[in-house]
Amino acid sequence: MNPEIPNTNRVLVIDDSEPIHKLIEARLRPEGLEVSSEFDGERGVERAIAEQPDLILLDIDLPDVDGFEVCRQLKDHPDTRDIPVIFLTGTTSTDSKVKGLDLGAVDYVTKPFDQVELRARVRAALRTKRLQDLLEHQSFLDGLTGLWNRAYLDQRIESELNIARRYGRPVSLILLDIDHFKRINDGHGHLFGDIVLQGTAECLPVYARRSDIVTRYGGEEFAILLADTSLRAAAYVAERLRTAIEGRNFEAHGETVVVTASFGVACTLNLSSELTRETILNAADQALYASKDAGRNCTHVMTENGIISVASFNGRSGGRPSED
Amino acid sequence: MEPIRSQYEDDPDMMEIVLEFAAELPERANEIERVLAAGDFDQLKTLAHQLKGAGGGYGFPRITEVAGELEHSLKDGVRGDPIKGHCAALCAVLRAVVAGKGD
Repeated sequence: MNPEIPNTNRVLVIDDSEPIHKLIEARLRPEGLEVSSEFDGERGVERAIAEQPDLILLDIDLPDVDGFEVCRQLKDHPDTRDIPVIFLTGTTSTDSKVKGLDLGAVDYVTKPFDQVELRARVRAALRTKRLQDLLEHQSFLDGLTGLWNRAYLDQRIESELNIARRYGRPVSLILLDIDHFKRINDGHGHLFGDIVLQGTAECLPVYARRSDIVTRYGGEEFAILLADTSLRAAAYVAERLRTAIEGRNFEAHGETVVVTASFGVACTLNLSSELTRETILNAADQALYASKDAGRNCTHVMTENGIISVASFNGRSGGRPSED
Repeated sequence: MEPIRSQYEDDPDMMEIVLEFAAELPERANEIERVLAAGDFDQLKTLAHQLKGAGGGYGFPRITEVAGELEHSLKDGVRGDPIKGHCAALCAVLRAVVAGKGD
Protein backbone atom coordinates (compact mmCIF):
# COMPACT_ATOMS: atom_id res chain seq x y z
CA MET A 1 0.00 0.00 0.00
CA ASN A 2 1.42 3.35 -1.01
CA PRO A 3 0.97 6.34 1.22
CA GLU A 4 -2.06 8.34 0.12
CA ILE A 5 -3.48 11.54 1.49
CA PRO A 6 -6.43 10.58 3.67
CA ASN A 7 -9.99 11.83 3.07
CA THR A 8 -11.88 13.52 5.83
CA ASN A 9 -15.58 13.36 5.19
CA ARG A 10 -17.11 10.71 7.44
CA VAL A 11 -19.29 11.82 10.32
CA LEU A 12 -20.75 9.53 12.98
CA VAL A 13 -23.85 10.79 14.78
CA ILE A 14 -24.67 9.28 18.19
CA ASP A 15 -28.14 10.40 19.25
CA ASP A 16 -31.21 8.53 20.49
CA SER A 17 -33.67 10.47 18.37
CA GLU A 18 -34.49 9.35 14.83
CA PRO A 19 -35.69 12.81 13.70
CA ILE A 20 -32.35 14.29 14.78
CA HIS A 21 -30.45 11.74 12.68
CA LYS A 22 -32.55 12.52 9.63
CA LEU A 23 -32.17 16.22 10.18
CA ILE A 24 -28.39 16.06 10.48
CA GLU A 25 -28.14 13.81 7.44
CA ALA A 26 -30.25 16.20 5.38
CA ARG A 27 -28.04 19.08 6.48
CA LEU A 28 -24.66 17.42 6.00
CA ARG A 29 -25.15 15.30 2.85
CA PRO A 30 -25.21 18.37 0.58
CA GLU A 31 -21.78 19.20 2.04
CA GLY A 32 -20.46 15.96 0.55
CA LEU A 33 -20.22 14.25 3.94
CA GLU A 34 -20.97 10.62 4.66
CA VAL A 35 -23.18 10.35 7.72
CA SER A 36 -23.70 7.22 9.80
CA SER A 37 -25.98 6.83 12.81
CA GLU A 38 -25.98 5.08 16.17
CA PHE A 39 -28.69 5.40 18.78
CA ASP A 40 -26.91 4.53 22.01
CA GLY A 41 -23.54 5.11 23.59
CA GLU A 42 -22.20 1.59 23.70
CA ARG A 43 -22.79 0.93 20.03
CA GLY A 44 -21.58 4.38 19.17
CA VAL A 45 -18.21 3.68 20.77
CA GLU A 46 -17.95 0.29 19.03
CA ARG A 47 -18.78 1.82 15.68
CA ALA A 48 -16.28 4.63 16.18
CA ILE A 49 -13.52 2.13 16.94
CA ALA A 50 -14.43 -0.01 13.93
CA GLU A 51 -15.02 2.70 11.35
CA GLN A 52 -12.70 5.51 12.43
CA PRO A 53 -14.95 8.41 11.42
CA ASP A 54 -13.41 11.87 11.00
CA LEU A 55 -15.88 13.55 13.32
CA ILE A 56 -18.38 12.43 15.96
CA LEU A 57 -21.54 14.37 16.79
CA LEU A 58 -22.51 13.18 20.23
CA ASP A 59 -25.77 13.76 22.08
CA ILE A 60 -25.44 14.37 25.80
CA ASP A 61 -28.76 12.74 26.76
CA LEU A 62 -28.46 9.11 25.66
CA PRO A 63 -30.61 6.23 26.89
CA ASP A 64 -27.83 3.99 28.25
CA VAL A 65 -24.79 5.99 29.29
CA ASP A 66 -24.71 9.76 29.11
CA GLY A 67 -22.76 11.56 26.42
CA PHE A 68 -20.07 12.70 28.84
CA GLU A 69 -19.26 9.09 29.68
CA VAL A 70 -19.23 8.17 25.97
CA CYS A 71 -16.83 11.04 25.33
CA ARG A 72 -14.60 9.85 28.16
CA GLN A 73 -14.50 6.34 26.65
CA LEU A 74 -13.70 7.72 23.19
CA LYS A 75 -10.88 9.85 24.58
CA ASP A 76 -9.50 6.92 26.59
CA HIS A 77 -9.29 4.56 23.63
CA PRO A 78 -6.12 4.80 21.51
CA ASP A 79 -8.03 4.27 18.24
CA THR A 80 -10.61 7.01 18.85
CA ARG A 81 -8.63 9.48 20.96
CA ASP A 82 -7.84 11.79 18.04
CA ILE A 83 -11.31 11.85 16.49
CA PRO A 84 -12.88 15.25 17.19
CA VAL A 85 -16.17 15.21 19.11
CA ILE A 86 -18.86 17.89 18.89
CA PHE A 87 -21.49 17.70 21.61
CA LEU A 88 -25.16 18.07 20.71
CA THR A 89 -26.83 19.50 23.72
CA GLY A 90 -30.42 20.30 24.50
CA THR A 91 -29.45 22.40 27.45
CA THR A 92 -27.95 25.83 27.29
CA SER A 93 -26.32 25.55 30.69
CA THR A 94 -22.74 26.73 30.81
CA ASP A 95 -21.81 23.92 33.19
CA SER A 96 -22.53 21.15 30.73
CA LYS A 97 -20.78 22.95 27.88
CA VAL A 98 -17.70 23.44 30.00
CA LYS A 99 -17.82 19.84 31.16
CA GLY A 100 -17.98 18.61 27.56
CA LEU A 101 -15.11 20.79 26.43
CA ASP A 102 -13.03 19.76 29.43
CA LEU A 103 -13.57 16.12 28.50
CA GLY A 104 -11.92 16.75 25.15
CA ALA A 105 -14.81 17.77 22.88
CA VAL A 106 -13.77 20.37 20.31
CA ASP A 107 -17.11 22.17 20.20
CA TYR A 108 -20.80 21.97 21.02
CA VAL A 109 -24.02 22.70 19.16
CA THR A 110 -27.21 23.53 21.00
CA LYS A 111 -30.38 21.79 19.88
CA PRO A 112 -32.46 22.86 18.07
CA PHE A 113 -29.54 23.85 15.92
CA ASP A 114 -29.38 26.43 13.27
CA GLN A 115 -28.41 24.68 10.05
CA VAL A 116 -25.89 27.29 8.97
CA GLU A 117 -24.23 27.12 12.36
CA LEU A 118 -24.21 23.32 12.38
CA ARG A 119 -22.56 23.18 8.98
CA ALA A 120 -20.02 25.83 9.87
CA ARG A 121 -19.03 24.09 13.10
CA VAL A 122 -18.77 20.72 11.34
CA ARG A 123 -16.64 22.25 8.58
CA ALA A 124 -14.34 23.89 11.11
CA ALA A 125 -13.86 20.64 13.04
CA LEU A 126 -13.17 18.69 9.85
CA ARG A 127 -10.71 21.31 8.66
CA THR A 128 -8.71 20.90 11.85
CA LYS A 129 -8.96 17.12 11.59
CA ARG A 130 -7.66 17.25 8.05
CA LEU A 131 -4.63 19.31 9.07
CA GLN A 132 -4.00 16.97 11.95
CA ASP A 133 -4.23 13.95 9.60
CA LEU A 134 -1.87 15.61 7.13
CA LEU A 135 0.67 16.33 9.84
CA GLU A 136 0.44 12.77 11.09
CA HIS A 137 0.71 11.51 7.53
CA GLN A 138 3.81 13.66 6.93
CA SER A 139 5.41 12.48 10.12
CA PHE A 140 5.05 8.89 8.90
CA LEU A 141 6.67 9.45 5.50
CA ASP A 142 10.28 8.96 4.55
CA GLY A 143 11.52 12.14 2.87
CA LEU A 144 13.97 10.56 0.46
CA THR A 145 11.89 7.69 -0.89
CA GLY A 146 8.28 8.71 -0.24
CA LEU A 147 7.67 5.34 1.45
CA TRP A 148 6.26 4.96 4.96
CA ASN A 149 8.94 5.33 7.61
CA ARG A 150 9.96 3.30 10.62
CA ALA A 151 7.61 5.09 13.02
CA TYR A 152 4.69 4.08 10.82
CA LEU A 153 5.92 0.51 10.59
CA ASP A 154 6.27 0.24 14.35
CA GLN A 155 2.72 1.48 14.81
CA ARG A 156 1.30 -0.82 12.14
CA ILE A 157 3.14 -3.88 13.45
CA GLU A 158 1.50 -3.32 16.82
CA SER A 159 -1.99 -3.10 15.37
CA GLU A 160 -1.47 -6.04 12.98
CA LEU A 161 -0.12 -8.15 15.86
CA ASN A 162 -3.22 -7.33 17.89
CA ILE A 163 -5.40 -8.58 15.04
CA ALA A 164 -3.17 -11.63 14.64
CA ARG A 165 -3.49 -12.50 18.34
CA ARG A 166 -7.22 -12.00 18.38
CA TYR A 167 -8.04 -13.98 15.27
CA GLY A 168 -5.06 -16.35 15.09
CA ARG A 169 -4.12 -15.02 11.68
CA PRO A 170 -0.51 -15.00 10.48
CA VAL A 171 1.44 -11.78 10.00
CA SER A 172 4.75 -11.83 8.18
CA LEU A 173 7.63 -9.42 8.01
CA ILE A 174 10.32 -9.12 5.33
CA LEU A 175 13.50 -7.19 6.06
CA LEU A 176 15.92 -6.43 3.27
CA ASP A 177 19.22 -4.67 3.17
CA ILE A 178 20.97 -3.45 0.03
CA ASP A 179 24.24 -5.35 -0.39
CA HIS A 180 27.55 -3.46 -0.14
CA PHE A 181 25.76 -0.15 0.05
CA LYS A 182 28.77 1.54 1.59
CA ARG A 183 30.88 0.42 -1.34
CA ILE A 184 28.24 1.84 -3.77
CA ASN A 185 28.25 5.13 -1.88
CA ASP A 186 32.02 5.34 -1.69
CA GLY A 187 32.55 4.25 -5.28
CA HIS A 188 29.90 6.34 -7.02
CA GLY A 189 29.09 9.09 -4.57
CA HIS A 190 26.23 9.75 -2.16
CA LEU A 191 23.99 11.17 -4.84
CA PHE A 192 24.18 7.87 -6.65
CA GLY A 193 23.55 6.11 -3.33
CA ASP A 194 20.35 8.14 -3.02
CA ILE A 195 19.34 7.15 -6.55
CA VAL A 196 19.83 3.49 -5.62
CA LEU A 197 17.66 3.94 -2.52
CA GLN A 198 14.97 5.71 -4.54
CA GLY A 199 15.10 3.15 -7.33
CA THR A 200 14.79 0.30 -4.86
CA ALA A 201 11.94 2.10 -3.10
CA GLU A 202 10.12 2.51 -6.42
CA CYS A 203 10.51 -1.10 -7.32
CA LEU A 204 9.32 -2.61 -4.01
CA PRO A 205 5.62 -1.60 -4.10
CA VAL A 206 5.43 -2.73 -7.73
CA TYR A 207 6.50 -6.28 -6.87
CA ALA A 208 4.89 -6.45 -3.44
CA ARG A 209 1.14 -6.97 -3.20
CA ARG A 210 -1.28 -4.08 -2.92
CA SER A 211 -2.04 -4.76 0.72
CA ASP A 212 1.61 -5.06 1.79
CA ILE A 213 3.02 -2.17 3.76
CA VAL A 214 6.36 -1.14 2.30
CA THR A 215 8.58 1.00 4.51
CA ARG A 216 12.08 2.38 4.61
CA TYR A 217 13.27 1.00 7.90
CA GLY A 218 16.41 3.10 8.04
CA GLY A 219 19.63 3.62 6.07
CA GLU A 220 19.67 1.06 3.25
CA GLU A 221 17.25 -1.24 5.03
CA PHE A 222 13.60 -1.72 4.02
CA ALA A 223 10.80 -3.60 5.75
CA ILE A 224 7.59 -5.00 4.35
CA LEU A 225 4.69 -5.93 6.61
CA LEU A 226 2.38 -8.60 5.19
CA ALA A 227 -0.94 -8.99 6.98
CA ASP A 228 -2.76 -12.31 6.86
CA THR A 229 0.22 -13.92 5.12
CA SER A 230 1.97 -17.23 5.87
CA LEU A 231 5.73 -17.68 5.98
CA ARG A 232 5.55 -19.54 2.68
CA ALA A 233 3.69 -16.75 0.88
CA ALA A 234 5.97 -14.11 2.42
CA ALA A 235 9.07 -16.06 1.29
CA TYR A 236 7.61 -16.08 -2.20
CA VAL A 237 7.08 -12.31 -2.14
CA ALA A 238 10.64 -11.83 -0.81
CA GLU A 239 12.13 -13.85 -3.65
CA ARG A 240 10.08 -11.89 -6.17
CA LEU A 241 11.41 -8.62 -4.72
CA ARG A 242 14.97 -9.91 -4.63
CA THR A 243 14.83 -10.93 -8.30
CA ALA A 244 13.27 -7.58 -9.24
CA ILE A 245 16.05 -5.60 -7.53
CA GLU A 246 18.74 -7.81 -9.04
CA GLY A 247 17.25 -7.27 -12.50
CA ARG A 248 17.12 -3.52 -12.20
CA ASN A 249 20.34 -1.88 -13.37
CA PHE A 250 21.54 1.53 -12.29
CA GLU A 251 23.68 3.80 -14.47
CA ALA A 252 26.53 5.75 -12.86
CA HIS A 253 28.64 7.90 -15.20
CA GLY A 254 27.97 5.57 -18.12
CA GLU A 255 28.81 2.52 -16.03
CA THR A 256 26.17 -0.10 -15.25
CA VAL A 257 25.95 -0.93 -11.57
CA VAL A 258 24.15 -4.08 -10.47
CA VAL A 259 22.47 -3.68 -7.11
CA THR A 260 21.38 -6.66 -5.03
CA ALA A 261 19.81 -7.07 -1.61
CA SER A 262 19.74 -9.69 1.13
CA PHE A 263 16.45 -10.76 2.67
CA GLY A 264 15.16 -12.12 5.96
CA VAL A 265 11.60 -13.34 6.49
CA ALA A 266 9.66 -14.14 9.66
CA CYS A 267 6.05 -15.02 10.38
CA THR A 268 4.06 -14.90 13.63
CA LEU A 269 2.97 -18.53 13.25
CA ASN A 270 6.58 -19.73 13.05
CA LEU A 271 8.00 -17.91 16.04
CA SER A 272 9.02 -19.96 19.05
CA SER A 273 9.15 -16.89 21.30
CA GLU A 274 6.34 -14.67 22.52
CA LEU A 275 4.57 -12.54 19.90
CA THR A 276 5.80 -8.98 20.12
CA ARG A 277 7.06 -6.32 17.76
CA GLU A 278 10.60 -6.97 18.97
CA THR A 279 10.50 -10.74 18.51
CA ILE A 280 9.24 -10.63 14.93
CA LEU A 281 11.68 -7.84 14.02
CA ASN A 282 14.56 -9.75 15.62
CA ALA A 283 13.60 -12.96 13.86
CA ALA A 284 13.52 -11.27 10.45
CA ASP A 285 16.77 -9.48 11.25
CA GLN A 286 18.54 -12.73 12.19
CA ALA A 287 17.31 -14.35 8.98
CA LEU A 288 18.59 -11.31 7.06
CA TYR A 289 22.03 -11.72 8.65
CA ALA A 290 22.06 -15.37 7.68
CA SER A 291 21.56 -14.21 4.07
CA LYS A 292 24.49 -11.82 4.42
CA ASP A 293 26.64 -14.62 5.84
CA ALA A 294 25.61 -16.97 3.06
CA GLY A 295 27.05 -14.62 0.44
CA ARG A 296 24.29 -11.99 0.02
CA ASN A 297 21.62 -11.60 -2.72
CA CYS A 298 19.58 -14.42 -1.19
CA THR A 299 16.69 -15.00 1.22
CA HIS A 300 16.54 -16.83 4.54
CA VAL A 301 13.49 -17.57 6.63
CA MET A 302 13.03 -18.04 10.37
CA THR A 303 11.25 -21.34 11.08
CA GLU A 304 10.32 -22.99 14.38
CA ASN A 305 13.53 -24.98 14.06
CA GLY A 306 15.82 -22.11 13.25
CA ILE A 307 16.95 -20.24 10.17
CA ILE A 308 17.11 -21.92 6.77
CA SER A 309 17.56 -20.74 3.20
CA VAL A 310 14.49 -20.20 1.10
CA ALA A 311 15.64 -22.99 -1.23
CA SER A 312 15.71 -25.59 1.54
CA PHE A 313 12.46 -24.18 2.99
CA ASN A 314 10.76 -24.71 -0.37
CA GLY A 315 12.41 -28.13 -0.69
CA ARG A 316 11.12 -29.13 2.75
CA SER A 317 7.59 -28.23 1.80
CA GLY A 318 7.80 -30.57 -1.18
CA GLY A 319 8.59 -33.40 1.21
CA ARG A 320 12.15 -33.80 -0.07
CA PRO A 321 15.19 -33.35 2.12
CA SER A 322 17.01 -30.13 1.58
CA GLU A 323 19.94 -30.16 -0.79
CA ASP A 324 21.89 -27.03 0.08
CA MET B 1 -55.00 28.29 16.38
CA GLU B 2 -53.42 29.51 13.17
CA PRO B 3 -52.00 26.73 11.00
CA ILE B 4 -48.26 26.28 11.58
CA ARG B 5 -45.91 25.70 8.66
CA SER B 6 -42.26 24.74 8.65
CA GLN B 7 -39.78 27.49 7.91
CA TYR B 8 -37.99 24.94 5.73
CA GLU B 9 -40.85 23.57 3.67
CA ASP B 10 -39.34 25.13 0.53
CA ASP B 11 -35.78 24.04 1.26
CA PRO B 12 -35.00 21.28 -1.25
CA ASP B 13 -32.65 19.50 1.19
CA MET B 14 -35.32 19.47 3.86
CA MET B 15 -38.69 19.24 2.13
CA GLU B 16 -38.99 15.49 2.29
CA ILE B 17 -37.98 14.95 5.90
CA VAL B 18 -40.02 17.94 7.06
CA LEU B 19 -43.14 16.40 5.58
CA GLU B 20 -42.32 13.08 7.18
CA PHE B 21 -41.69 14.70 10.57
CA ALA B 22 -44.87 16.80 10.38
CA ALA B 23 -46.98 13.80 9.42
CA GLU B 24 -45.91 12.06 12.64
CA LEU B 25 -46.88 14.95 14.93
CA PRO B 26 -50.59 14.13 15.46
CA GLU B 27 -49.53 10.70 16.68
CA ARG B 28 -46.99 12.34 19.00
CA ALA B 29 -49.85 14.41 20.42
CA ASN B 30 -51.92 11.27 21.04
CA GLU B 31 -48.93 9.67 22.71
CA ILE B 32 -48.43 12.64 25.01
CA GLU B 33 -52.08 12.41 26.09
CA ARG B 34 -51.80 8.66 26.72
CA VAL B 35 -48.58 9.00 28.72
CA LEU B 36 -50.03 11.90 30.73
CA ALA B 37 -53.17 9.89 31.52
CA ALA B 38 -50.99 6.99 32.64
CA GLY B 39 -49.01 9.32 34.90
CA ASP B 40 -45.68 8.25 33.37
CA PHE B 41 -43.81 11.50 33.91
CA ASP B 42 -40.39 10.12 32.96
CA GLN B 43 -41.69 9.11 29.56
CA LEU B 44 -43.47 12.44 29.25
CA LYS B 45 -40.19 14.23 29.94
CA THR B 46 -38.42 12.15 27.27
CA LEU B 47 -41.10 13.02 24.71
CA ALA B 48 -40.93 16.70 25.58
CA HIS B 49 -37.14 16.62 25.44
CA GLN B 50 -37.09 15.02 21.99
CA LEU B 51 -39.68 17.39 20.55
CA LYS B 52 -37.79 20.32 21.98
CA GLY B 53 -34.57 19.14 20.36
CA ALA B 54 -36.03 18.33 16.94
CA GLY B 55 -38.81 20.90 16.47
CA GLY B 56 -36.71 23.96 15.73
CA GLY B 57 -34.39 21.96 13.50
CA TYR B 58 -37.36 21.06 11.31
CA GLY B 59 -38.46 24.67 11.12
CA PHE B 60 -40.97 24.64 14.00
CA PRO B 61 -39.49 26.90 16.69
CA ARG B 62 -42.90 27.03 18.40
CA ILE B 63 -42.71 23.27 19.11
CA THR B 64 -39.29 23.72 20.70
CA GLU B 65 -40.57 26.57 22.82
CA VAL B 66 -43.71 24.85 24.16
CA ALA B 67 -42.06 21.43 24.58
CA GLY B 68 -39.22 23.18 26.42
CA GLU B 69 -41.68 24.73 28.88
CA LEU B 70 -43.19 21.29 29.53
CA GLU B 71 -39.78 19.67 30.02
CA HIS B 72 -38.64 22.46 32.29
CA SER B 73 -41.70 22.19 34.52
CA LEU B 74 -41.38 18.40 34.73
CA LYS B 75 -37.71 18.74 35.69
CA ASP B 76 -38.69 21.20 38.40
CA GLY B 77 -41.05 18.61 39.85
CA VAL B 78 -44.23 20.42 38.85
CA ARG B 79 -47.22 18.06 38.64
CA GLY B 80 -51.00 18.29 38.29
CA ASP B 81 -52.93 21.01 36.45
CA PRO B 82 -49.94 23.10 35.30
CA ILE B 83 -48.50 20.01 33.56
CA LYS B 84 -51.88 19.25 31.99
CA GLY B 85 -51.92 22.84 30.77
CA HIS B 86 -48.46 22.54 29.20
CA CYS B 87 -49.41 19.23 27.57
CA ALA B 88 -52.61 20.70 26.15
CA ALA B 89 -50.66 23.64 24.75
CA LEU B 90 -48.06 21.36 23.18
CA CYS B 91 -50.68 19.02 21.69
CA ALA B 92 -52.53 22.00 20.23
CA VAL B 93 -49.33 23.19 18.54
CA LEU B 94 -48.54 19.69 17.22
CA ARG B 95 -52.05 19.39 15.75
CA ALA B 96 -51.90 22.83 14.19
CA VAL B 97 -48.93 21.88 12.04
CA VAL B 98 -49.76 21.66 8.37
CA ALA B 99 -48.02 18.60 6.96
CA GLY B 100 -48.70 19.10 3.26
CA LYS B 101 -47.91 22.04 1.05
CA GLY B 102 -51.40 22.70 -0.23
CA ASP B 103 -54.23 24.17 1.79
